Amino acid sequence: MNEREARLRQLSDSVVNMDDEGIVELSRNYIQAGHPALDGILGGLVDGMSRAGALYEEEEYFVSDLLLCSDAMYAGLGELTPHLPEEAKNARKPRAVIGVVEGDTHDIGKNLVKIMLETAGFEMHDLGRDVPVADFVAKAKEVEASLVCLSTLMTTTMTNMGRIVALLEQENLRDTVKVIIGGAPVSAAFARKIGADGYAGNAVEAVGMAKRLLGLETPVLA
Amino acid sequence: MLDPLTRLRKALARQAVDRPPCICPGGMMNLVTRELMELSGHGWPAAHADPAAMAALAAAAHPAGCFENHGLPFCMTVEAEALGARVAMGDMGSEPRVTAYPLAGLDGWEDLPAFDPGSSRAGIVAEAVRRLARRDDGVPVIANLTGPLSLAGSLVEPMILYKALRRDPDRARAFIDRLSDHILAFGRTLLAAGADVVALSDPSGTGEILGPKLFAAYVLPAVNRIVRGLRQTRPQAGIIVHICGKMHTVFPLLSTIEADALSFDAVVSLKKARLHLPDTALMGNVSTFALESGRPEKVAALTRHSLTSGADIVAPACGMGNASPLANVRAMLATVRNHVPGAQDHARHPLA
Repeated sequence: MNEREARLRQLSDSVVNMDDEGIVELSRNYIQAGHPALDGILGGLVDGMSRAGALYEEEEYFVSDLLLCSDAMYAGLGELTPHLPEEAKNARKPRAVIGVVEGDTHDIGKNLVKIMLETAGFEMHDLGRDVPVADFVAKAKEVEASLVCLSTLMTTTMTNMGRIVALLEQENLRDTVKVIIGGAPVSAAFARKIGADGYAGNAVEAVGMAKRLLGLETPVLA
Repeated sequence: MLDPLTRLRKALARQAVDRPPCICPGGMMNLVTRELMELSGHGWPAAHADPAAMAALAAAAHPAGCFENHGLPFCMTVEAEALGARVAMGDMGSEPRVTAYPLAGLDGWEDLPAFDPGSSRAGIVAEAVRRLARRDDGVPVIANLTGPLSLAGSLVEPMILYKALRRDPDRARAFIDRLSDHILAFGRTLLAAGADVVALSDPSGTGEILGPKLFAAYVLPAVNRIVRGLRQTRPQAGIIVHICGKMHTVFPLLSTIEADALSFDAVVSLKKARLHLPDTALMGNVSTFALESGRPEKVAALTRHSLTSGADIVAPACGMGNASPLANVRAMLATVRNHVPGAQDHARHPLA
């Protein structure tokens, strides 16, 4: 392992170890050593978040752990992103709209999906929670999104997901916008029933599904 | 034949019953559907804030042939609102929900307003319980409490809360302890008002979110603090704890919860739960997806599955969607009523 690889490994480890303070220093040192910011993000921070995601899938890590890992990742991004070359900063990323459907304010799952998709290179437009049906569609239009991610934790509000799919259809957006749903009461069967493109059981699955649906099997980062 | 109150009491105590009860507690475990609102003449959102309407709607399911209990309130915002959270009352199709937190972070929780279990909507729920208890109709009145982590996550942004559990454990513990005492005070008020059973649901405090370490560090002590307090107040009251999500990472811990019954989501195998919980009444876990979108035959099949998997109490696995058709909900109770416990099913339900 050369010096650059060792630094990348340290950045990655800091994300996995949830060290949101140490990572700031490591990120600065990495830039000062003359290494490209993009590599630091991809090979360090994002690598760490992917490892954390794998630990989450293995049930070594849980939601609270992933949140702390993402704190560290964002702290590192805060240091490295300003050093990206202009063309990387301006590169067109796939855009996704995400939110919790109206009637529900539980958004931990949505926040995790947002973090993991952001990590995977998506430009995320987060509408927050308790979001009216029409707002998803309006936002998808406005930002020319290729993906809409819907979440709910409540059985009482899952019917709103079907309404969003129907409205996208009505607006002739179903050919250009894929819809992924998630949340405790919904399922793959429910996704099929309402005409969504897929159901993801957790944030890591959501990333895989988003990439598959958009034909982005290769990394889409920055 | 046992009356519904006696049957539920016996099932909670794991005594012999003619057949398991079929209930839906209310609260997070929503038991109100649009058709029940129409039948009772009382609907959301008015019934959240009016004791007569709340009592009437809480008692609509039983005469409609749905569940063998009355259940209230119909949301998880009563305690949070009393502690300063801003709540939108929703409409006929959606439940009340928190729209603004009184706390920006965990520091400052000491300044939350004092919890008065007799005032505001907490007082309305207590009054509705009193009205239902006065009926003395042999149907159990189930009062619902919001679990400690869920209440905490209604007072401060959950992302901040979950991080604080790791980063600031002393403060987090003190905060959760205080909230547990508030919840207990509300529970005591509802027992004093005549509730037969208390159900505590903590969807934000699941093993799936927290993992076994944080679940053991926060959820177990807080839930038991409440359960013990309720028992002290009224030893004969039944206590149900509902835990959301997958359980396999926390199964070994569940036997330390001192409730009479544990209620589980549809993803949980009651047979597996039984291996870890030999002495606890198991409640569940008919898919609310099937209840809302399936056919009655599907609901009946899932109900039979719960029965043969060893459910001591049959119930929806989660809150019911309020578009769930009456035909589906009735199929649940009809299946339970016609169930003849077989020797291989569950020795706890011999024909009385």
